[in-house]
Amino acid sequence: MTPPHPKLRVRDVEIGHRSGRKGTYAHAVDGLSFDVAANEFIAVVGPSGCGKTTFLTAVAGLIPISGGTLELDDRRIDGPGRDRSLVFQQASLFPWRNVVQNIEFGLKAHGRLDAAGRARVAELVELVGLGGKGDKYPRELSGGMSQRVNLARALATDPELILLDEPFAALDAQTREVMQEELTRIWQADGVQAGKTAMFITHDVPEAVFLADRVLVLSRGPAHLVADIHIDLPRPRTPSMKRTPEFLAMSDRIVDLVMAQSQIGKQDQPGRRVTSDDHAGVAAG
Amino acid sequence: MTTQVSQPASPVTGPLERAVNARKGKKLTTGRLGVIGLVVVLGAWQVTASAGWVDASFASSPVGAVKALAHMIGTGELWPPLLSTLESVAYGMIITVVVGIPLGLLIGRSNTLYGLTEPLVSIMYSVPFVVFLPIIIFWFGIGAEARLVIVVWSAIFPLLINVIAGARNVDMHYLQVAKVFCAPRLLTLRSVTFPATLPFVLTGVRQSVGRALVGAIVAELFMGNAGLGYVVQTETSAFKMDDAMAAIVVIAVLAIVLTRSVAWIERRFTFWSSSV
Repeated sequence: MTPPHPKLRVRDVEIGHRSGRKGTYAHAVDGLSFDVAANEFIAVVGPSGCGKTTFLTAVAGLIPISGGTLELDDRRIDGPGRDRSLVFQQASLFPWRNVVQNIEFGLKAHGRLDAAGRARVAELVELVGLGGKGDKYPRELSGGMSQRVNLARALATDPELILLDEPFAALDAQTREVMQEELTRIWQADGVQAGKTAMFITHDVPEAVFLADRVLVLSRGPAHLVADIHIDLPRPRTPSMKRTPEFLAMSDRIVDLVMAQSQIGKQDQPGRRVTSDDHAGVAAG
Repeated sequence: MTTQVSQPASPVTGPLERAVNARKGKKLTTGRLGVIGLVVVLGAWQVTASAGWVDASFASSPVGAVKALAHMIGTGELWPPLLSTLESVAYGMIITVVVGIPLGLLIGRSNTLYGLTEPLVSIMYSVPFVVFLPIIIFWFGIGAEARLVIVVWSAIFPLLINVIAGARNVDMHYLQVAKVFCAPRLLTLRSVTFPATLPFVLTGVRQSVGRALVGAIVAELFMGNAGLGYVVQTETSAFKMDDAMAAIVVIAVLAIVLTRSVAWIERRFTFWSSSV
C-alpha cells in the first residue's frame, strides 16, 4: 500500500518537552510512524490534547523532535523550510498589510516577489474568492475571509507540503461548511501543482472524511497511530456526499475510533474533554 | 485661566483611546458644547473685569490679553521667546526619541533588562519630575544644558514606558508567521517587529511631546532667560498681567498644535491598528 518513495516519511517520531513547575518530561508524541505519498491529502484526527498540533508544529520545523526520523523528499526536517508552509489556526494576518501584501509575504521572505510572483498572488486572490478585495485590511475582513487569505498566503510559495492546523475551528458552522467546500475546490484547482501534498489537522471527523484521501487516527497523548483509513470517495467532492450512507458509515467508524481513545483518557484523567461533540452519542457503545 | 497642561493618561492607551473616541461618534456636539463652555467662562471673566468687580490689573481680561497678544505679534516681540521655547522642545524631543526608542526596544526585548529596570522606570514615570528641579540646578546650573536636561527628563519616561510595552507585546503569532516562511532577520525586524511596535511608539511620542512642553515651560519659569515661560514670569513680576496672559494663550495654542500634529501622524501611520 505504501509507495516505495514517500513524500513525507514519519518513523518512530517522539516529541517531548519539559513542562510544569517541576520540569517533568512529558511525551506529546511517542512512536508515531506513517508515510504520505506525493499529492495526497491527509487528515489527522485524534482526541483533543493528543499532540496532533504539536506534531504538525514539528513538521513545520518550529519545534524539534526528540527521537525518530522526519523526512520530506528524503531530506531531514530540522527547522522551518521553504518547502513547507503552514495555514495557521488563527489567521495571524499582519494588520498593517492589505490582503495582497499579506499573501505576498511568503514570496517576499523567500526573495521571490518578482513579476511572476505578483501574477501568482493576483491569481490566488481570485482563486480563494477575494477578487476585488485585494486592498482591504485584515480588520475589514470576516473570519472566513481572513482564513481565505491565510490559505492563499500558504499556497503562494508553492510548497511541497502544505500544513493546515485546524484552520476552520474558529469559524461558525455555516462558514465552516462553505470553507470546507472551498478548500477542496482550491486544492484541486490551484494551477501550479494541482493537488499539493497536504496535511490537515482537525478534531472534526466529518470534516476530515470530506476533505481527505486518508484519515489518520491518533491515540490520546502521547500520540501514536491507531488507524490509517483510506477514503475512497470520488473527487470532486460535493456537499451532498456528506449525506450518503458511505460517508456516514465512514464517519461513524472513525468517530468510534476517536471516541475509544477519549474513553481511555477519561478513565485515567477525569478532567479531559471529549471531542467531536456532535457525535458523542454514537460512541457510547 | 486657559493654561492647558496635557496630562498623559495611563501609559498604554493608544488603541483603547481610539476605540473610546470612535464610540463617541458625536464629536460635533461635543465640539459645540466645548465652544459654549469656553465662551461662557471668558465672557464672565470679561464682564467681571469690565464692571470693575475684580481689578483688571491683577486679573487681566480676555480683551486685554488679546490686545497684548496683537501688540506682541505686531512688534515682533512674540517670536524670539516662541522660537526659544520651540527650540528647547525640539532639541529635547530629538534626544528623547533618539535615546528613548532604542533603549525602550532593548529593555522590552530582554527579560533581564526589563526585570532590572521596570520598577525604576515606573517610579520615575510616576514621580513628578519637578521635584528633581533643585537637584538638576545644583548639578547642571541654570544654563541651556540644564533646561535641556529638564525637558528630556520629563519627556522620556512616557515614551520609554510605551515603547517597552510595545516591544513586549509583539504578537507571538506574527513572529511565527515570519519564522515559518523563513523570513530573514532584517525583513522580520523591518516588516514585522517594527510595524507591530509602531502604534505604541507613536502613542509614546504623543504623550512625550506634551510632557516636553511642560518641562520646557517649567525650566523657563524657574531658570530661564528666554522663552515663553520666562515671558510669563517677567511680565507677571512687572504687573503686566495682560502680557503674561497673552504668553499663556500662546503656550496653550502650542500645546494643542504639538499634540494634535503627533496625533495626526499617529492616525496616518497606524490607521490599520484598531481594537474595534
